[in-house]
Amino acid sequence: MTGATVFWYASRATGIVALLLLTAVLVLGMVVNRQGRLPGLPRFAVTDLHRNLSLLSVAFIAVHVLTAVLDTYVSIPLAAGVVPFASGYERLWLGLGAISFDLMLAMIVTSLVRGRLNRILWRAIHLLAYLTWPVAFVHSIGASKDLQQGWLLGLTVGCGIVVVAAVAWRLAGVARQVPRAARVAHMFARHDATSGQAAPRRTRQGASR
Amino acid sequence: MHESAPNYPAPRRAAQQGAGLPRLLPATPEDLRAHLARYGPLPYREMPGLLIDDVETAGLTGRGGAAFPVYRKLAAVARARGNRKVIVANGAESEPASRKDELLLRLAPNLVLDGLQLAAEAAGVTEAHLYLHAAGPEILRALAERAARRLDRIDVSITQAPPRFLAGQETALINRIGGGPALPTFQPPRVTERGLGGAPTLVQNVETLAHLALIARYGPRWFRAAGTGSEPGSMLLTVYQPHSKPLVTEAEIGAPLASMLPAGQTGPGPEVQAWLVGGYHGSWLPLPDAAGLRLSNESLRPFGAAAGAGVLVALPAGRCGLAETARVVRYLAAESAGQCGPCLNGLPRIATALAELAGPKPRRQVREDAERWAGLVTGRGACHHPDGTVRFVRSALTVFGPEIARHAQGRCSAANREPFLPLPASLPTREEDWI
Repeated sequence: MTGATVFWYASRATGIVALLLLTAVLVLGMVVNRQGRLPGLPRFAVTDLHRNLSLLSVAFIAVHVLTAVLDTYVSIPLAAGVVPFASGYERLWLGLGAISFDLMLAMIVTSLVRGRLNRILWRAIHLLAYLTWPVAFVHSIGASKDLQQGWLLGLTVGCGIVVVAAVAWRLAGVARQVPRAARVAHMFARHDATSGQAAPRRTRQGASR
Repeated sequence: MHESAPNYPAPRRAAQQGAGLPRLLPATPEDLRAHLARYGPLPYREMPGLLIDDVETAGLTGRGGAAFPVYRKLAAVARARGNRKVIVANGAESEPASRKDELLLRLAPNLVLDGLQLAAEAAGVTEAHLYLHAAGPEILRALAERAARRLDRIDVSITQAPPRFLAGQETALINRIGGGPALPTFQPPRVTERGLGGAPTLVQNVETLAHLALIARYGPRWFRAAGTGSEPGSMLLTVYQPHSKPLVTEAEIGAPLASMLPAGQTGPGPEVQAWLVGGYHGSWLPLPDAAGLRLSNESLRPFGAAAGAGVLVALPAGRCGLAETARVVRYLAAESAGQCGPCLNGLPRIATALAELAGPKPRRQVREDAERWAGLVTGRGACHHPDGTVRFVRSALTVFGPEIARHAQGRCSAANREPFLPLPASLPTREEDWI
């Protein structure tokens, strides 16, 4: 590695780490949504992990973009980091990268001011995660010859498999969701079934309704 | 400081004895003509804000249950910014045991509507709503008569409340009038800052408005002639007692609880085993304590109780307090809006535990479980439904402790197993039940 190539290598490395981080953030987001837990962590820690990793991945992407711009081997304007298709080099693949970065920024900004936002609006914007990750994924594979072969290809395919599995798990959760109005009845059915003593008896007139 | 207020006329009332109760309830429904003959015209102040000082001096608090000072809400809405401001008269008493708002709206609809207009003027409100379970002929007639005589300066629109326990909760009411389901949401922002459609909104119980209409007419000094120094005025009560129908009555705040029993029964006799004060979000009181208590939050507070919306139940001897409580808690749990985890998960669990305590030979750890779960749900809902339910449950576990011991031995002191506390028949199962 020489002085001329350090930016190039830094850009590729941070890009790969960012892909791994984004995959983790997306999966953690689904765990938060389904109120799942990770071994050894309380639920609120899963939420915190999701938030902190998302900020960390944006930091990596910022370095990824800056180093790509600073590298002089190919000429990429700084604006191409956020403006889609502004780069002459690899116009399509870098354009997808910029789109994905913009979507991420939208999610992070709305999350930072979440308390002042309408919950439905925040949620709608946050659902863009399911668009952001595939766009970033396609950007990674298209823009980088590294990821198209060898163990990095294995890593990339692994990320894809993890996300597909997580989405399937998330959709299974949607299918199992109890409508709000039926939730209490659902709870009662569970408790009445597990508590052997709770079968209707004569001291509880009306309670078995 | 408020001596510059208008010179208030003495109330035109034939029999004025003591504090002049009842203040709110005529014997039969009063139409507009009878109402104006008794009280005179509406004392509009012709300027926003003027009435607020009088309401503060009077010391009027909300009669919907929370006893929040009325002048503070009036002032908050009056000083809030915005061209659109809203007032809602809340007549949707959702407590199944409370009947007082329903009766007030039937007997003195014009007094409530006077209060609505006067409060609207004081707070500078531009839009008025009436929120009710059912609009009876009396209130509809009153609105029509007032419209014909152009008494009201702001049009009043009626919204129907669904028959849910939480339908009258402030944020649920705003969601309902806004066109959605009657579900509570987190505060802040307070509805006085951002309520209906984001407009500053004043929500007052209908009884509170009726008191306000009288304060506007007769002044704060007259209002303070009844009640105690810290809790002036009178309040409407729904009283349940052995061997008779529920009774709506008006009592001075600070009156002895024992005096709420019907004539002939001066104190809690052997007929009564415990009192329930404040309704289903209220507290059971054991007899020796309750006998000496007064109807005021000051007197009830040391026992963890409050007058609430004025439901008072004297549970007759020969009924099982645990069975009564278990039935009501099951109802309360089923009325959870199902939005907040602690309420959704906790209340059905607590209800199931209470059902076991109400039956023969409950397992030993059930009471402990119920107490532990009660601690886990307190203060963790968007509204006070879990807190109120837990207050009711905890007081029952204390007051009916001896009964729990009896049940543990497979015995029960109840001779009469007919339900005593009233409950509505239908529980919510579909989304439409909340609309």
